[in-house]
Amino acid sequence: ALVLMFPPLPRFRCLLQRCWQRLEGGLLPGFSGGQSLPWGPALGVQASAFLPQPVHDTNESNEAPSLLDSILWMAAPKKRRTIEVNRCRRRNPNKLIKVKTNIDVCPECGNLKQKHVLCGYCYAKVKAETRLIREEIHKQEGGPFNAPTVETVVLYDGEKPTEKDAGKRIIERARKRPSWFAQS
Amino acid sequence: LCCFLIGNACVRGLLGWTRPERWLAASSFFPLSCIHTSCTALQRIGNWEKKNRIVYPPQLPGEPRRPAEIYHCRREIKYSKDKMWYLAKLIKGMSIDQALAQLEFSDKKGAKVIKEVLLEAQELAVKKHNVEFKSNLHIAESTTGRGRYMKRIRYHGKGMFGIMKIVRCHYFVKLVEGPPPPPEPPKTGFDQAKEYVQQLRSRTLVNTL
Repeated sequence: ALVLMFPPLPRFRCLLQRCWQRLEGGLLPGFSGGQSLPWGPALGVQASAFLPQPVHDTNESNEAPSLLDSILWMAAPKKRRTIEVNRCRRRNPNKLIKVKTNIDVCPECGNLKQKHVLCGYCYAKVKAETRLIREEIHKQEGGPFNAPTVETVVLYDGEKPTEKDAGKRIIERARKRPSWFAQS
Repeated sequence: LCCFLIGNACVRGLLGWTRPERWLAASSFFPLSCIHTSCTALQRIGNWEKKNRIVYPPQLPGEPRRPAEIYHCRREIKYSKDKMWYLAKLIKGMSIDQALAQLEFSDKKGAKVIKEVLLEAQELAVKKHNVEFKSNLHIAESTTGRGRYMKRIRYHGKGMFGIMKIVRCHYFVKLVEGPPPPPEPPKTGFDQAKEYVQQLRSRTLVNTL
C-alpha cells in the first residue's frame, strides 16, 4: 500500500481518491484505460457488467497520466548512509581546504599579502589619506558640481608650488608628506 | 606500601597521576574556602582548560628538555562544527606563522575566529608558559567540538514548518614549543606488502606440541 507521510492537500486528496477507486475497481495504478482484468475470475463472465466504475475513471484520468506516474515513482534513498560512508565523502581530499602557496611578505610594511593582490595594510593607509584629501577638496569647493577644469596638486607642510604647478588647483594638507606619496 | 610505590614511581619518572603536587594544583585543601570548585552551569571549567594546570616535577640534569605545551580553546562559537573542522584540519601540524598566514587569506567565517584564538594562545605562551620565541611554536592538536544547540521553528509555505537547529561549536588548540615535526611519508604498497608478509610469518601454532 502507498503511504504518504505529509498531510494531504486538495490536489493529493483527489489523487488518493482516484487511486483507491482504481484499486477497488481492480485496476493497477499504472494501468490506464484497461477493459479486462489480468487476474480476473475463472468464470467466463464479461468484466464490463461487474465494473461500472472504470468507465468513469478512464475519462477522468486521461487528463494527467504523467503527473500520477511521476509522483508515484520518484527517486528516494533506499538506505540510510552510514557515518563511515559520510566520512569518506566529507573527508575526501578534494573537499579539504587546499594550502595556499601564493602568500608573501609586503616589502613596505612587513605584513602578509597575496602575490596578485595589493597589501591590505598599505591600501588602508592610502585610503585613509585619500579620504582626508577629499575632505579638503570638498571644503574648498563648497558644494556639488563645483569641480574646476584644471588639474589638482596636493602640497604638504613646507612645500611651495613650483612653476610646473602654475595653473593647477592647490590642496593644502597640514602634515608631513608621507613617504609613499612621491612629489611629482 | 602505596607510599613506597608512589615514591618509587616518582623517582623513575613514571605515573604522572600519582604525583601528589598535581592533586593540590586545582582545588584548595580546606573544604570551607573552595573558591575554585564552582559548579554553576554558566562557568563550568572544561577539561581542556584544566590541562594547562598540570605541573611536572623538576627535570633531572640528564633528561632532554620537555617542550612547553599550551592548551587553549574558545567555547560557543556561532559556526558549524563540521565547517570548522575543515579549518582545524588545514592547520594541524603547521607552524604557528604558517597557520596564521593561511587563516588570514581564507574566506571562511571560522578562519577569523581561529586566528584570534591562535594569537591569544601565542600571547599566553609567551607570558605565562615560559616560551622564549613566539614563532617557535607549532600546532600539535586542533579539533572542534559541538556546542549547545537551540531548536527554532522555520516557517515554510502552505502552513508547513520545519525545526531548525541554531548550531554552535567549540574550538580546541594545543601549541607545542619547537619546530613542526616533518610530515610522515605516505605508506607505499611495498611497505604494506612487507607488513602483511611479516604478519603471516609471525603466526604461531596454537594448542600443539
